[in-house]
Amino acid sequence: MATLTRPARPGEDDAAPRPLPWRRMAGVTWRQHRIALAAVAVLLGALAVYLWIVGTSVHHAWTAAITCHPVGSPACQDLAATFNGTWNNMSIPTVLLQVVPALIGAFVGAPVLARELETGTFRFAWTQGFARWRWALAKLAALGVVLAAAGAAFGTLLSWCYQPYSAAANQDLGLYGNTPFAVAFGLREVTFPAWALAAFATGALAGMLIRRVVPAIAATLAVYAGLAIAAAALLREHYLTPLVTSNPNLPGTAWLIAQWWTKDGRFAFAGNPPDSLLNQFCTFPQSPSGKGGGPSGPPGPPGPTYAQCLAPHGYANWMSYQPASRFWPFQWIEGGWLFALSVLLIAATIWLVHRRAG
Amino acid sequence: MTALTRPARPGEDDAAPRPLPWRRMAGVTWRQHRMTLAGVAVLLGALAVWLWTAGTPLHNTWATAAACHPASSPSCQNLISAFDSTATNKFMGSKGAGGVLLQLIPALIGAFAGAPVLARELETGTFRFAWTQGFARWRWALAKLVLLALALAAATAAFGVLVSWYYQPYEGVGGQFLGLNENTPFAYGFSLREVTFPAWTLAAFAIAALAGVLIRRVVPAIVATLVVYAGLAFAAAGLLREHYLAPLATTRLDLPGTTTDWVLGQWFTKNGRFAFGGNPPSSILNQFCSSGKAAGPSFAPCLSPHGYVQWTSYQPASRFWPFQWIEGGWLLALSALLIAAAIWLVHRRAA
Repeated sequence: MATLTRPARPGEDDAAPRPLPWRRMAGVTWRQHRIALAAVAVLLGALAVYLWIVGTSVHHAWTAAITCHPVGSPACQDLAATFNGTWNNMSIPTVLLQVVPALIGAFVGAPVLARELETGTFRFAWTQGFARWRWALAKLAALGVVLAAAGAAFGTLLSWCYQPYSAAANQDLGLYGNTPFAVAFGLREVTFPAWALAAFATGALAGMLIRRVVPAIAATLAVYAGLAIAAAALLREHYLTPLVTSNPNLPGTAWLIAQWWTKDGRFAFAGNPPDSLLNQFCTFPQSPSGKGGGPSGPPGPPGPTYAQCLAPHGYANWMSYQPASRFWPFQWIEGGWLFALSVLLIAATIWLVHRRAG
Repeated sequence: MTALTRPARPGEDDAAPRPLPWRRMAGVTWRQHRMTLAGVAVLLGALAVWLWTAGTPLHNTWATAAACHPASSPSCQNLISAFDSTATNKFMGSKGAGGVLLQLIPALIGAFAGAPVLARELETGTFRFAWTQGFARWRWALAKLVLLALALAAATAAFGVLVSWYYQPYEGVGGQFLGLNENTPFAYGFSLREVTFPAWTLAAFAIAALAGVLIRRVVPAIVATLVVYAGLAFAAAGLLREHYLAPLATTRLDLPGTTTDWVLGQWFTKNGRFAFGGNPPSSILNQFCSSGKAAGPSFAPCLSPHGYVQWTSYQPASRFWPFQWIEGGWLLALSALLIAAAIWLVHRRAA
């Protein structure tokens, strides 16, 4: 059998080296990027320890607050205040955690090709009898899979830590509750690895185009910031068509997209009522309830108070919203398009490696 | 006169090149780092345009709400609630992500501008050429670091002025009497103002320059800078800042500046002796505060008849500028120290 695999012309056997097996690339990738992977492990590990400590205390506070009986007693109010206080400590770390996928992806992805090109080692690496596009593909795929696995594990821990804040029962007990779409939506099991992969793929392509590591990292961070802001502010609310209701008692876990008013079945105005209407119909003092939610509460609809004085005059309040039950479809939609984008960017990178002259 | 400056032994005149004038280093620094400086200019320029476009309507909303008369009329309440929802919920609001994400800008600018200054020469080997130009290598390093630091500090100070302008409506004097959202100037964006923004940028730049000499590779030096900077920023915000000046303590339930003072702690005394810190324990609440809601300052009314006195320690809003200069001062001293260490390492390094 062995003779069948020999080349037809034995004279060229020594001149043409055999293709390297794919799995040896794992060893090469590990040796070239072990420092980067170790740094990612240290960063995510340190953050995981932090999340574990914080998450344990959040869960304790939440369990104590939710099992307290009777609900109105001072002791229970005290426990509720303790739980609500945990969110005040969480809000800034939550925002800062958004940069973790960007940093991981940019610092791991940009050097993969840019460092070979910048230092000139590509002349050695790409002439090893293993087609250079395979070399790039093996490294990018192996690193991408490792990053995605680590990101998914971290996202699972983060979801566990934030789970009490979007529990459905919070609203009735006076506990802080928010829609799961607003609480670190981009850092969950599906979206965290997807965003990290997108940053990694952007970094790889930027490295191939710019051919210098530091400018490629800077470009990746800029592109990622634009993509993340666009996704959060423009795209996310349109993943599925929002539901419309005129019921003013929207659950606190629903994501309010917009509200408007109709009169006699026709559109009247959007958002808050104009001054002319308020002066005409809503002459009662309404300073406390007119504010959009309490200082630590969710940005709830200010609708109900306006609705009380406008409803007798034929105005109906409509709201479009995304129900909390769509959390997982939204996770998979965001994960899906980010994954497709990452595959596309990596394919473009490999094609550039393939067609690049010498 | 020129003869006096000639070397005593004319034979060595050609062998020993004359020292470069300092000001020529400006040209060298510009040519080597113009891409970095252009990147910083583009980043800060884009953020400035965005802050300007976001801040103009905020100022307008605040001005109309503050000038509205009478304040209790429905249309005024509507204007006030419009401002409050902008102030709290929008991207740059007190609960928004924008103010927190802006904290990253000094770290990113400093790390990306500072790390390559020395590390790139060491990593690519060009230091062999750069450091043998008849201009002592420590002078070379000093000139580049000082020039870049000055340019960065000037640009970020200008940006800090704009940030202060943006946050001005949140700290408008007297706003709380109208029900307008107000906040203490210590809480959000304290490190992004005229004094602190350049100081934090300089600190990141100096950390990065030193990390570059020590690590001798650009990307690891950037990563190390970001890590050290994060630790320093958390330590300053979480531990140091509240101790810059000894806090004031009061038994008043309404602080003089109401919402603009920075409340640090709260405790109760009974008969002149410390009773408990923070919120009252459940046992006392069940005993004395069995009726009504119990939240924050409303503990005092039900506990004061029983001899409990509530104390609050706080930093008044009038200390904003002293605090700015204290934070700016120690950061500047730290940066000077780190840059001096980097230059000393360059000086003593065996070429």
